Amino acid sequence: MSSKINGHVSPQPCPHLLVFRSRNGPKPFRALQDCIRVKPPGGRAAIRREPTEVPRCGTCEESSRSRLYACVACAAVFCHAPLLHSHASDHSLSIPGHEIAVDVDRAELFCCACGDQVYDRDFDAAVVLAQTVNATATTSTSGSTAMQCSVAGSQPENLRKRRRVDYRPWEPDSGEHISRGNQSIPLLDAANASLVSSTQQPWGLRGLNNLGNTCFMNSILQALLHTPPLRNYFLGDRHNRYYCQQKNGAINGTKNSRLCLACDMDALFSAVFSGDRTPYSPAKFLYSWWQHAANLASYEQQDAHEFFISMLEGIHEKVEKDKRKFQSPAGSGDCCIAHRVFSGILRSDVMCMVCGFTSTTYDPCVDISLDLEPNQGGSGKSSSAKSLNSFNVEADCMRPNQNCGISTLKGCLERFTRAEKLGSDQKLFCQKCQVRQESLKQMSIRKLPLVSCFHVKRFEHSSIRKMSRKVDRYLQFPFSLDMAPYLSSSILRSRFGNRIFPFDGDEQDASNDLSTEFELFAVVTHSGRLDAGHYVTYLRLSNQWYKCDDAWITQVNESIVRAAQGYMMFYVQKVLYYKESENQGTS
Amino acid sequence: MKHSVNRPPTPDGAEDQGNEPILQEIIKIKLIESGEKERLMEMLRERLIECGWKDEMKALCRAYVKKKGRNNVTVDDLVHLITPKGRASVRDSVKAELLQRIRSFLTSAAL
Repeated sequence: MSSKINGHVSPQPCPHLLVFRSRNGPKPFRALQDCIRVKPPGGRAAIRREPTEVPRCGTCEESSRSRLYACVACAAVFCHAPLLHSHASDHSLSIPGHEIAVDVDRAELFCCACGDQVYDRDFDAAVVLAQTVNATATTSTSGSTAMQCSVAGSQPENLRKRRRVDYRPWEPDSGEHISRGNQSIPLLDAANASLVSSTQQPWGLRGLNNLGNTCFMNSILQALLHTPPLRNYFLGDRHNRYYCQQKNGAINGTKNSRLCLACDMDALFSAVFSGDRTPYSPAKFLYSWWQHAANLASYEQQDAHEFFISMLEGIHEKVEKDKRKFQSPAGSGDCCIAHRVFSGILRSDVMCMVCGFTSTTYDPCVDISLDLEPNQGGSGKSSSAKSLNSFNVEADCMRPNQNCGISTLKGCLERFTRAEKLGSDQKLFCQKCQVRQESLKQMSIRKLPLVSCFHVKRFEHSSIRKMSRKVDRYLQFPFSLDMAPYLSSSILRSRFGNRIFPFDGDEQDASNDLSTEFELFAVVTHSGRLDAGHYVTYLRLSNQWYKCDDAWITQVNESIVRAAQGYMMFYVQKVLYYKESENQGTS
Repeated sequence: MKHSVNRPPTPDGAEDQGNEPILQEIIKIKLIESGEKERLMEMLRERLIECGWKDEMKALCRAYVKKKGRNNVTVDDLVHLITPKGRASVRDSVKAELLQRIRSFLTSAAL
């Protein structure tokens, strides 16, 4: 009877729980349900027979024991301190059928005979329901309508299940036959093969000339050229620039090729993957991008992240114009290849600290911008060094992100998804209280993109002090990253305690089992000052690292990459990442 | 504030109804009735999370479960494991703050 919810195996009930359930009808915890009291803020669920009851052990009358259990069968309360005495166990031994009890302060089931926690779906559903009904403004009596809130896994409108398509082997159609014949060069003829094997570099590595402070563009382009889904899309001829321009010419009636950043990308892919190793000048691309982002058209240094965003927008815009009729929901990624690859959905929960009402919003995002830690070691942890020594005598556990003061990407993600108290100057309007209240905000990831781009906020612009500065602090980033702890389902699960309950995002189908694991494939680094700096990209191909410094491509050791100052890190879902061990292009 | 110092213990048929509540009991009752205990508990929970104590305990439990095997560990085992370590590793600043809050509550309650 064990089942999986998003990879978590539900624990089996113990024999005593099974017996209890079979003896007490279809709703064995019905009486308990009325005793679930939820205290805002935070929504802790407790069991109280009366709202103001102070639970006391029926045998020794102690009320300050840390674990008090109420027998589910007879509602009597007992203490449980296995080292001293357990009146709860005594009770369960004295009366058969009274083994199951519930922790009065935590609303968790316990089997006194087994001496361990047990889990029951109906009970957990009742607890979560009580905690959620408290948080929604509409109090409804029927259980199912109260579950409309996003805790219980009703999908937001902008999330659609992916359709599965059966595998069909590919045969070129007539159009593809023509374009194949005219504009394509064979990848592996004798001439090209010798080119590739002589340089020993994988396909698609080609330097990009700096056209005047354009390292910001070159670095991002190198990363995009090797973003697996994007690379596959363009190399798979999914956006043919000749066909596209023909079409545009037909629509416009003009000879000028219309601005299409995707066509320029297609041209770039063709050039870079042609096998030619001489550095390429992406002048056409730069010109097109200037037309798209007129305000940034200059030879001044630009921010690589800004370029990245504007590029994605450019690809999206062009496609949107064509498909004006088709408005897909935001975040589903159906609109264009840029969003298909990079777009995920963020969930933001804002909880009123006074009444506990939580309002949830979903927003699409193409990347995640992370703050570095404000100061090394963090505030309020001044005594942690002392306790670290006394505490770590035999513990072989890892102190989470506090010991050496090294910032890590995981630490940044943890901070990103931590519940944050908004200051009293940032009170948000609570729908239930109908007034601005202090709030608790928590972010989580509802849907992961195919490629996660993490942007480290290294450039601080203070409008107050009219100055900008760069944060040089080193950030450690892993080569493999599991995003599971930052998903909405995980964040919600930890908020509600250990419940057998499908949370928002848990109902994804089995094919998504592996889709929280990501592999790093590109790192964009920045060195130098805010106004005079240089961008360099490191690419991971066939498990080798290559440094792309404008026109110069060199193979480097992974330790160099680990030590680099990461500005943007690109991770792709593990299932899409090919860790080839052999050299491509050799037979 | 309702003073209920003279309220007898919860009747349950036990024989020891003759005991006079001692000072500790009085303080406990006052703390609970005024709702201060609840607030103190919330504050304590916050502090223990902020300083990383909760994460430390979690990590301890995880390491233990890993060692023993998931199906060979009970809640009682874990409580037994982390109670002494947990008590010992509470930061002094947290203890001090809690004591200070209780002290100021007592003076304001004007016993």
